[in-house]
Amino acid sequence: MTAPARPDARPAPRALMAVALPCAVVSALAVGGAVAAAPSSVRVPFALGASAAAILLCVAVTAAVHAVRGERTTRRLLEAARAEADGLARDRARVTERAREDQERLRAEAEHERARLLAEFDGERRRLADGFEQERRQLTGDFERESKRLTEGFEQERAGLAEQRAREVARLTEEATRLRERLDRASGERAAAVAATANAAGRMQALATGMLADLRAMEERHSDENVLADLLHLDHRTAQAGRLADSVAVLTGARSGRRWARPIGMESILRGAMGRIAGYQRVRVHSVSDAAVAGHAAEGVMHALAEILDNAANFSPPTAEVHVYVEEVPAGVIVSVEDSGLVMGEVQLRRAERAVSGESAGLGGLTGTRLGLAVVGRLSAKYGLKVSFRPSARGGTGVLMLVPQDILSGPSATDGPTPVAAPSATPTRTGTLSSTPVPIEAPSPAPSRSGAPSTEPPTGPPCTPLSSSPPPPGIGSGDVDREPLPAPESADREDGPGTPADSAGPDTGLPRRRRGRTLAAAERARATARAAEPRATPSAEDAKARAARFSSFRQAVRAAGPAPEAPRDDAPPADPTTAPPAETAPDHPSHSHAHAHPEGDTTS
Amino acid sequence: MSRPGRDDAPDRLYTLTQGRSRSGPGNPFDLVTLVVAECEPVPGMQSEHTAILRMTEAPTAVVEIAAELRLPVSITKILLADLHAAGRVSARHPRTAAVPDPETLEQVLVGLRNL
Repeated sequence: MTAPARPDARPAPRALMAVALPCAVVSALAVGGAVAAAPSSVRVPFALGASAAAILLCVAVTAAVHAVRGERTTRRLLEAARAEADGLARDRARVTERAREDQERLRAEAEHERARLLAEFDGERRRLADGFEQERRQLTGDFERESKRLTEGFEQERAGLAEQRAREVARLTEEATRLRERLDRASGERAAAVAATANAAGRMQALATGMLADLRAMEERHSDENVLADLLHLDHRTAQAGRLADSVAVLTGARSGRRWARPIGMESILRGAMGRIAGYQRVRVHSVSDAAVAGHAAEGVMHALAEILDNAANFSPPTAEVHVYVEEVPAGVIVSVEDSGLVMGEVQLRRAERAVSGESAGLGGLTGTRLGLAVVGRLSAKYGLKVSFRPSARGGTGVLMLVPQDILSGPSATDGPTPVAAPSATPTRTGTLSSTPVPIEAPSPAPSRSGAPSTEPPTGPPCTPLSSSPPPPGIGSGDVDREPLPAPESADREDGPGTPADSAGPDTGLPRRRRGRTLAAAERARATARAAEPRATPSAEDAKARAARFSSFRQAVRAAGPAPEAPRDDAPPADPTTAPPAETAPDHPSHSHAHAHPEGDTTS
Repeated sequence: MSRPGRDDAPDRLYTLTQGRSRSGPGNPFDLVTLVVAECEPVPGMQSEHTAILRMTEAPTAVVEIAAELRLPVSITKILLADLHAAGRVSARHPRTAAVPDPETLEQVLVGLRNL
């Protein structure tokens, strides 16, 4: 399809030359012959004309030839181009035809393919739908079956459980009822047992107290030393039995022991505590305190101290001494008990502290043989005592007991008609009156020997010789002064027959000889006393003080519980005859003072 | 016998004497022995000892001391024996051998009545 090469589209100059040359030659020859034949006179112009004509002719011929030739070439070119255009048109038609055929063919193929795929897809879809449907039906069936099965099982199970639960509830209810009944019964029995024990303990206390009083009376009556030794032995045993009864009473919540009508000095407290334990001879007391414990609390303090001392004595070697120190501090009085026995471990100390703290009020923690600390705990809680344990420098255990200030009544409160514990009946001397609650000390505190105490020499300060001074002033009017100060024991001593000590009482009506004086002097003194009586004795303050003491004692008794002890209730018929009320004292001074013992009236 | 519960001191007698009930063989005291204090009471003494020393600044019979202390005589004797052993009291026995004839006694009686 290439364009045909254009055959000499522009006539070459040589071809033009080939045309021009013959023409020139021919014209040259014709011009030469015509010139040669022309007359000589016209030859030259002619020749010129002829030559110019010949040249023109030649150019014209050449130009004509050239034009002819060009026209022919152009025509030839035109022909070629036309042919070429025709060829191209044919090609295009052919290509178009082919393209159309291809398109037709491809479309047919696509149609076919699409139809095929559609059919295939439909088949597949139908197949899957069928499978799915089938699967679903199967699963639904399975689910139904399973669900039915489980529901049935669950129902069964639930019914079983409900039945079981009902049975269990019934059983537990029955059990609870039984337990409640048992608890009720046990509580009732416990209360009854505690009440019975408390009652029995109270009776035991009363018996022991009565027996101690009887023994004391017998000790006064029998002067035989052998009998006295036996009586003292019995006295000691009875005191220990009384302590046990007191312990049981304290633990069962009954009222504790007896009640003292007046403050009890520290010496007597310690002695009272010592007297209730088995090993009292090993106890050494170092005390210069003249404090006194109020009457309502004295028994409790004594009992607690007795338990502590008993512990100390029991848990130390049988020959070791137990030392008791009394110290007055602002908060009260500290009694420390030191033994050289077993050292308590940390755990034991803590347990003991807990036991005496009074926190565990129940009876559950009691072991049969160790009542002491629990008793101390109860008493501490009741009277505000503080008890603590610590290792002692003596190698054993030290117990500190703080007797708080509010149950102490200092020495100032003990003056008046009831000298504290010291049974001295010599209040006529003004010097001794203030020091009546004399500091006490064991006869031989310092040397630690186990020998008989009677052989021990005194270890106090050196003996200061008595100056031969006259008796202190006031001894002359002694009979007058002693009138408002009756001995506290006189009221009940007179009930007992044959107590010789009372024959020396100030109001027996007989002349009374003072030591170192003659009978006549005593007679005179008595007369003087009678004359001085109306102004001296029945002072208003005296009666007021008695009334105050009486009311404070009644308060103490009421605060501590239902007061009157059972055993003393059968006594009152004998009482009013011997002890008229204290308030009547000013009317009959000389006779009533012998019986004026207000505390004695209230307790009986 | 006294009423129960009216025993009015918590001290038991055996605690006063450390459990002794006999005053020992060398005891110079009987009921009428006169006791005289030889020194002042010192602080820290047992209160009964103090009371005895106060009481016996003038010569006092044992039985009177016992009555004042409201203690049995035997117990008082033990306390006195303790003091005596310590040299704090001395004992004077009444001179029973010096009792003169009845005539002298009669004169004494007359003299007493004239007082």
